[in-house]
Amino acid sequence: MNYRRMIQYIFMVLLALFLGAFLLLPVFTVVRSGCEVSLFKELFLSPVYREGLLNSLNVAVVTTLMVAVISLALALLYDRFDFAGKEYCSLLMLLPMILPPFVGALGFQQLLGHYGVVNTLLENLGLSKVDFLGGSGKFYSVCLIEALHLYPIFYLNLVTALGNIDPALDEAGANLGASKWQRFLRIRLPLLRSGFLAGGSIVLVWSFTELGTPLMFGYTRVMPVQVFDGVKELESNPLPYALVVVMLTVSALLYALMKYFLGSDGTSSAVKGNMGSRGTGLKSWKRFLPTTVFLIVAGISVLPHIALIGCAFSRRWHGSLLPEQFTLEHFDNALSNPLVLPSIVNSLRYSLLAMAVAVAVGVVIALISSRWKLRGAWILDVLSMLPLAIPGLVIAFGYLGMTNRYAWARAIFDPIENPLWLLGIAYAVRRIPYVVRAVSSGLEQTPEELEFAARNFGAGPVRTLFKVTLPLVAANLLVGGLFAFSFSMLEVSDSLILAQKSIFYPITKALLELSQILGSGPASACAFGVWAMLFLALTLASAGILLGRKIGAIFKF
Amino acid sequence: MAAVKLEKICKSFTSGRPVLDSLSLEVAPGEIFFLLGPSGCGKSTLLRILAGLLEADSGKISFDGKDITSLPPEKRQAAMVFQNYALWPHLNVFENVAFGLRILGVKGETLRREVLAALDTVHLADMASRRVPSLSGGQQQRVALARALAVKPAVLLLDEPLSNLDARLRDTMRSEISRICRERQQTAIYVTHDRQEALSMADRMAVLKDGQISQMGTPRELYERPANCFCASFLGDINFFDGEISDGEIITSFGKFPLSGCNGKTRRAAIRPERIRFVSPDTPGAFAATVVSGIYGGDLTQWICETGGVKFQVNEMASPARKCGETVYLAFDRDYLLAMDE
Repeated sequence: MNYRRMIQYIFMVLLALFLGAFLLLPVFTVVRSGCEVSLFKELFLSPVYREGLLNSLNVAVVTTLMVAVISLALALLYDRFDFAGKEYCSLLMLLPMILPPFVGALGFQQLLGHYGVVNTLLENLGLSKVDFLGGSGKFYSVCLIEALHLYPIFYLNLVTALGNIDPALDEAGANLGASKWQRFLRIRLPLLRSGFLAGGSIVLVWSFTELGTPLMFGYTRVMPVQVFDGVKELESNPLPYALVVVMLTVSALLYALMKYFLGSDGTSSAVKGNMGSRGTGLKSWKRFLPTTVFLIVAGISVLPHIALIGCAFSRRWHGSLLPEQFTLEHFDNALSNPLVLPSIVNSLRYSLLAMAVAVAVGVVIALISSRWKLRGAWILDVLSMLPLAIPGLVIAFGYLGMTNRYAWARAIFDPIENPLWLLGIAYAVRRIPYVVRAVSSGLEQTPEELEFAARNFGAGPVRTLFKVTLPLVAANLLVGGLFAFSFSMLEVSDSLILAQKSIFYPITKALLELSQILGSGPASACAFGVWAMLFLALTLASAGILLGRKIGAIFKF
Repeated sequence: MAAVKLEKICKSFTSGRPVLDSLSLEVAPGEIFFLLGPSGCGKSTLLRILAGLLEADSGKISFDGKDITSLPPEKRQAAMVFQNYALWPHLNVFENVAFGLRILGVKGETLRREVLAALDTVHLADMASRRVPSLSGGQQQRVALARALAVKPAVLLLDEPLSNLDARLRDTMRSEISRICRERQQTAIYVTHDRQEALSMADRMAVLKDGQISQMGTPRELYERPANCFCASFLGDINFFDGEISDGEIITSFGKFPLSGCNGKTRRAAIRPERIRFVSPDTPGAFAATVVSGIYGGDLTQWICETGGVKFQVNEMASPARKCGETVYLAFDRDYLLAMDE
């Protein structure tokens, strides 16, 4: 083995150690602390926790069903027809991702509250008010807002899966006399299994472990909130560890179930076909029908965000359809709150660190599997994708466990006095898959010959990397980095659990604290949310422009 | 320019069958050497091993007597023109050509002069600031050549550089590459599966089959005196015919012909279609045949004629019209009849 190969293997081992320490060890710590029969017994005997588990499962299933219906309809429209503004519709579909649902919930309360827009409308129409935010209304509200946030992921996976189906397969069905519906049910739907699996499993696990939205709605009888509430008394009561173990197990089970019912049977490789445009052209006014559907769905999904903006700019929005009395007072209030400015600085520091770590680790992992082709690279590949399958809450909890258990972890991650490394690495680990995906897809589209040419013309491996390889995948690298950065800026689970002192709060935790202040708190939180929304919108728009339709590949499971 | 020597190069991939099987050859300084063979014969693998992009399982490579077998690609001074050009799309034409020179430490005005000189050699000096994707295939090919020439490599490696061009452009580029290499006395190793390219450009060439050299020599030697049936048919159309071989003669169903170069392994005789002529019946050595079919190609017509149950291809320049079934008389110069081992 020459020394270059040796250096490559050293990189691989270092990365494996990194992922082992900051991804596997936290999970292991949680499992070790939580795997006690007495804890499980206590947990399952308690009606509160049983209800929490059941409610979380319900939220996951209902959210996923909602998401599936919305995304399938949109994806089929997109694939089947050529319509006005088609190229912008996929970009439009990214809109709901502008904010974490947790912030959207702030706006949603404005829409659905007792004196909110919908109830005012019902009252004006002479109908009785509906309690959307109490009883079972609360449950469906949580599901709906999560669904409105998550459907783009499912949609992008379905569009990719549909794009991989050879149109000739459908034509062959038509040629043998199958009707449109028969073709849809017997040909397209079965071939979409990979898309359903890819999108569905992310949505299912994501909504099962989502902490921010139920917390904002005060829907506390769900597992993630129960885990969050347990953090404060963790040292005296290890029950939350057991809760997290159950959450991890159920997440794995959910994924296994999805895989069992939708798993690949070898069809996916057989359906790769030509990728030309095969949409049916629509004429005159019909060209605008699918566009309208896209606009309506996008409109509904950004309603919470619009409400958030309305809230942020109005002095009064209570019992009226539209906000009243324009003001910038809430922005002032938000900025003058001692939590806000430091939280922005903190988030910037954590997220920049996270981006740097995620990009460095992600690029090397992508190189190892796409270029260096080292033996055992697949292990690193699997490890780097694990953060998509392991709930963020579990990892966050694991870090907390590590700082309690290991002195070295306490020394690096000082959660009390300086959580920079703790939060930076916690954010980074969860964003690595996006960077790896983005860079790998760039490398796969770039002929290796270009790098060979550089070597052939005298450039060593390092110069080749910086002069040829990285510039060629610069757009992908930028997108991966932007995602890592912007998702870190608005990360929820790690932020809520790991930031313990108010001077170290990141944006999301400051938002939660702000929204809970009585009086002007929620309105200031809305104003703060608008800043956050603008910021993420800009990031995603630039990513969308850079990567175009291929952006879906980053969210594939 | 450098002399290149390959000694017993072996290479296998995971499938087990050797791609290169103990292959040895020598290329003289300033020589244009062609590696010719069908797909999968190992010619591109050999070129990549020469460039250092692949590692040989065993064997030795030396440039001017210096062992370079274990040198990394960037230290070999073996500039390559890739089949798909491998021009860096993020750099413009100038920067593509300047890349290797910058690594050699060439800077400022000298760099500019050398890049423009290299581009001038391929008639592209006015395109230095153009973006690579905006160039046509032929222009990209020439930039790739300029990039390789700019670094004044010890050996120029060309991997089917003309295969993506149309026929006309290919002809022009063949003479351009030959001219440039001869002017610079550039040692060049050129891989192709196009026999016309090899025959028209090579000083010497090797025909590869299954990872081994089937025959090596000048184009004329290989075409006119192929060592075996594979080389004979790979380098051009040829008629094989069987017969009884004894005492330097072959007795066929349509006549008895002297066959020089016979040995114990000789199994059949062969003759190129352009060596057979349509003649009058009274020409010495003429034999009668029937026209079976003809493919008209403008300057040249390929006739298929049959005699004694044997079919011949006869290539005739400026051919008159003939009818199928018509009786014709054919003859050939005995010197061009080749004795073939199996």
